[in-house]
Amino acid sequence: MLIWLVLLFPLVGAVWNGLLLPRHKLLSHSIAVAGVGLSFLAALPLFVSLLGEGAAGSVHLAFSWIQAGDLDIGMEFVVDRLSGVMLLIVTGIGSLIHIYAGGYMNEEKTTARFFSYLNLFIFMMLLLVLGNNMLVMFIGWEGVGLCSYLLIGYWYTHKPNAVAGMKAFVVNRIGDFGFLIGIFLTYKMFGTLSFSQLHEVLAGQESLSPALTSGLTAIGICLFIGACGKSAQLPLYVWLPDAMAGPTPVSALIHAATMVTAGIYMMTRLHFIYYLAPSALMLVAFVGGATALFAATIALVQNDIKKVLAYSTVSQLGYMVLACGVGAFDAGVFHLLTHACFKALLFLGAGSVIVALHHKQDMQEMGGLKKYLPITHAVFLVAVLAIIGFPGLSGFFSKDEILWRAFSFPGVGWVLWLMGLFAAMCTAFYMVRLLCLTFYGKNRSDEHTRHHLHETSSVMWAPLVVLAFLSIFIGYLGIPPFLAEAFHGSNLFSPFLSSVIQVPPAGEVYWSFLHEHHSEALEWSLMGASTLLALGSASFAFILYRNGPTPFLQERKEAFASVYRTLYNKYWVDELYDRIIVRPLKEMSEFLWRVVDLGIINGGLNVLGQSLMFLSGVTSFQMTGSLHRYAVVFILGLMGLVVLVIV
Amino acid sequence: MFAWINSSIVSIIIFLPLIVAVLALFSPSVRLSKWIALGGSLVTFIASLHIWFHFDAKSSALQFVEVYDWLPSMGIKYLVGVDGLNLLLVMLTSFLTPCVLVSLWESKVTYIKPFLSLLLVLETGMIGALVAFDLVFFYVFWEVMLIPMYFIIGIWGGSNKIYATTKFVLYTVFGSLLMLVAAIVLYLVHYEEHGFYSTSLLDLYKITQMGLSTQSYLFLAFSLAFAIKVPLWPFHTWLPHAHTEAPTSGSVILAGILLKMGTYGFLRFALPLFPDALVRYSPLLMTLGIVGIVYGALMAWMQKDAKRLVAYSSVSHLGFVVIGSVVILNGKLSEEALTGALYQMINHGISTGALFFLVGMIYERRHTRILSEFGGISAVMPWFAVCLMVATLGSVGLPGTGGFVGEFLILLGVFKFSPLAGILASTGVVLGAIYMLNLCLSILFGPLDKEENKKLTDMTFLEKTYMVPLSVLVILMGVFPNFFLDKTRASLHHLAEHVSEYRLMVSHHDSEPVHEVAGASDTKNK
Repeated sequence: MLIWLVLLFPLVGAVWNGLLLPRHKLLSHSIAVAGVGLSFLAALPLFVSLLGEGAAGSVHLAFSWIQAGDLDIGMEFVVDRLSGVMLLIVTGIGSLIHIYAGGYMNEEKTTARFFSYLNLFIFMMLLLVLGNNMLVMFIGWEGVGLCSYLLIGYWYTHKPNAVAGMKAFVVNRIGDFGFLIGIFLTYKMFGTLSFSQLHEVLAGQESLSPALTSGLTAIGICLFIGACGKSAQLPLYVWLPDAMAGPTPVSALIHAATMVTAGIYMMTRLHFIYYLAPSALMLVAFVGGATALFAATIALVQNDIKKVLAYSTVSQLGYMVLACGVGAFDAGVFHLLTHACFKALLFLGAGSVIVALHHKQDMQEMGGLKKYLPITHAVFLVAVLAIIGFPGLSGFFSKDEILWRAFSFPGVGWVLWLMGLFAAMCTAFYMVRLLCLTFYGKNRSDEHTRHHLHETSSVMWAPLVVLAFLSIFIGYLGIPPFLAEAFHGSNLFSPFLSSVIQVPPAGEVYWSFLHEHHSEALEWSLMGASTLLALGSASFAFILYRNGPTPFLQERKEAFASVYRTLYNKYWVDELYDRIIVRPLKEMSEFLWRVVDLGIINGGLNVLGQSLMFLSGVTSFQMTGSLHRYAVVFILGLMGLVVLVIV
Repeated sequence: MFAWINSSIVSIIIFLPLIVAVLALFSPSVRLSKWIALGGSLVTFIASLHIWFHFDAKSSALQFVEVYDWLPSMGIKYLVGVDGLNLLLVMLTSFLTPCVLVSLWESKVTYIKPFLSLLLVLETGMIGALVAFDLVFFYVFWEVMLIPMYFIIGIWGGSNKIYATTKFVLYTVFGSLLMLVAAIVLYLVHYEEHGFYSTSLLDLYKITQMGLSTQSYLFLAFSLAFAIKVPLWPFHTWLPHAHTEAPTSGSVILAGILLKMGTYGFLRFALPLFPDALVRYSPLLMTLGIVGIVYGALMAWMQKDAKRLVAYSSVSHLGFVVIGSVVILNGKLSEEALTGALYQMINHGISTGALFFLVGMIYERRHTRILSEFGGISAVMPWFAVCLMVATLGSVGLPGTGGFVGEFLILLGVFKFSPLAGILASTGVVLGAIYMLNLCLSILFGPLDKEENKKLTDMTFLEKTYMVPLSVLVILMGVFPNFFLDKTRASLHHLAEHVSEYRLMVSHHDSEPVHEVAGASDTKNK
């Protein structure tokens, strides 16, 4: 019963705010917070019921959705440990961000539309997470994309915002195209789209025929294209940085904590396909690693505080995808969880800074804000330490887990590990740079802005404090086993998920290394090395930037001008896409329209018509005005045609 | 009385609009004429609801059958009825017509009385063509649809109306003449095989001895007529002209219902009558359909006139319907794709009908449809913005709207038939998002910087009375598709089976004459 309530509350909130459009801001805010908050409260007991030893998942059918021919797709939902974890992330972090959003949007005249979209987003995200077949997941999948589109372009009178929203939708649609093809392939091969049935079929196979393996590989790659769109991986990541045009709570909720992790969730949900398609997973691993590194380098030189965080998100999503790629789905979901906490905190913290500075986002006009925004600074510091992997904070555990699992992947594992390691060093650098440019050194804003600087209201900072606590402590759920032994604790997270995520029998030979035992010394030394390198990189950034932009930095910038320009312009990827895809397509369409459509097809028809008219002029001496004659000619003609056709 | 209504309900919904059209034309005042027209169309809608609720969804047999001999010596009968193939389209027609009439309530159109009458005559033609099961009557209704549309565009159209309407009519007539020839041949073929003359489709379905070459000629002749009507690429060029010049109500009817007559024709005639030819030419139709999907989308993207954009989008969307209709798997029509095609006709009718209404609203207010003349009007017309957004989402097939269900089923079937075809057709889903969101972007979003746009007024109460139901339908059809699909399942299954069995009967009892079947379905309805 609870599952229906979980779904119902946000929907009611969205419809209430969306249809009745209450003018009172407090009312629309309360409706929205209640919508997601009550959903969280309903999700809690649902989750607790999954905690017991060996608690199995359950499937709930609402109604039969599409029935045609042999196809019968139910509106069915699954509650198991995997969707349970996601349920808590979506509604829990969602609640905090909803609360915060009330403060952030306080300058708006009305907020009903905003909160309606936000609640609708939660509803769609829940459909995505709870759906027990690919098509229900796909409703959520595109539904969250719709909400993202609407919210990115929320301030639509500024055209670039609306354009960014459209870009997000279209790029995601390209990914969804891959997802759809994956769905078709799945249905063609297995005749079902239900996760439980697919799992049953695949887990029942002792060994795989080559045809089945290649089919699964194709499905895996197609679905991964979908994940690349939604989770902003190379080459489809370009929409996410632009998506920062939306209000900051939206960036925190949709473009950091929840929606963009949908790709990771989907792959984890379908782990039984991916485990049986190792070559598809290899692609996943390298795309993830490359994205993590690529985006991290761009983040090094960006000046817009939200842009840095956006590229950081792309990079961190790359980590999660990398984890999936090496078969460490549990590690991917664990990083998803910790990242949701600290990245939401980073975005909301940045949001507080932006509000305090009257919607300025350029870090060159910030600096020294520690004095004015002490609480924001404190929580922001926690989040920065968490993301750079400072020992003992959440990011440390989850990132280390991924790096270790990448390293222990046989063959190319060390390459992936190196990618992750470099990305981690970049992360430490750009996050400390961001921290310094924002909070330390001298304040660089204009007199007027500085005069009005003050800490934000409690409705905004209270959720931040909660998130800060989570950012510190949530990592202890997933302490690596060797550390757990040393400190007499235990890893709670991976065993919890292991009832859902299992290698199917047919893949056990390939994935046998997952159970291999490694020497603890190796784990210790790798962890030490990565931690030291990250902290070294962080200290380096701190020394460079603690006083804000200095002449020394300016000189460095000029010395490495070409590198700097390449990174600052994001490797000109947008320009490249425009040149090789958008413009040729446009030119081709223009050609098709002007030459083929108007010229050949329509023109040809007109010529035909005119020549017929000319002919009729020639033959018009036949026109006697006698109806009889016309009728006779008409019938003769018809008979002629009939004879022609029969003979 | 009730028994009489029940037994002649189909004739009522055919001819009531015609009677009302005459009354509206000769009514003493314009106001009364509007009331008569609207009232008549609403009664027609209610009558069609009667059919909807009493329709036996489990049966693939023709229901509410009415049959009267007309020219017994030639085997021509008045034979009408409803089955799963035409029921939804009949509902769409009887629903959209009152919407159009309401939209004309406050319009300042000249000669309003004949305009309303023509729309009602058009309704008679459309419903008649949908429910007719006799070739002669079908042909008559098919041509009857043409005449009112000819006048609607030619009299009430835009600046280039004569060119547009002439092109529309000549093109369509050319197609239907070929169809007439093919129909006569079919009639003779039936006589040769069965020894009696009949124009009843139910008899013609029983032809089993037609050679492949004859089938092919006839199939191509019928298909050409339908392809022009759809319009299938490359026979589409009349459509953008007709839409650009037609008044809003004409465009709504044209895109909403008239185009579906072509795709309905495929399902009713071309597929079951010539199954061997269908198997032979299905790749050709599939190719043209896919070209149409991509080509129409690219054309739509290039348009600067909102109405032309929606017109080209129809070319793209109806390409989906055509490919869904001709998917042959193991010698059998794919039921998934067939269901999708039928459903997509309705979805397209609702969402594109809505889009033409919406474009008409801003045209009426601003007297232009050029996209660059707008921008940011979401701020002054919030209701309009919501409706446009919903219609757009339905048009791009977002899950949760009817468009998704239709496109998904079609593409699923096509993909099973040929993965390459499925992939190529699916690109239309991406391109659809580009041009439709571009439309929204240009009209709704961005700064409200033009003086004329700042003074725009939002949708009136009357405009809401039909736009809100249309928008709600877009979503309902996506969330509860089974409510609609249930009615079609048996008939589509029957049609799909038929292509492999090569015989489609009025019911499963082969030997029973039509009259008894009519009686049987009657008793079911009581």
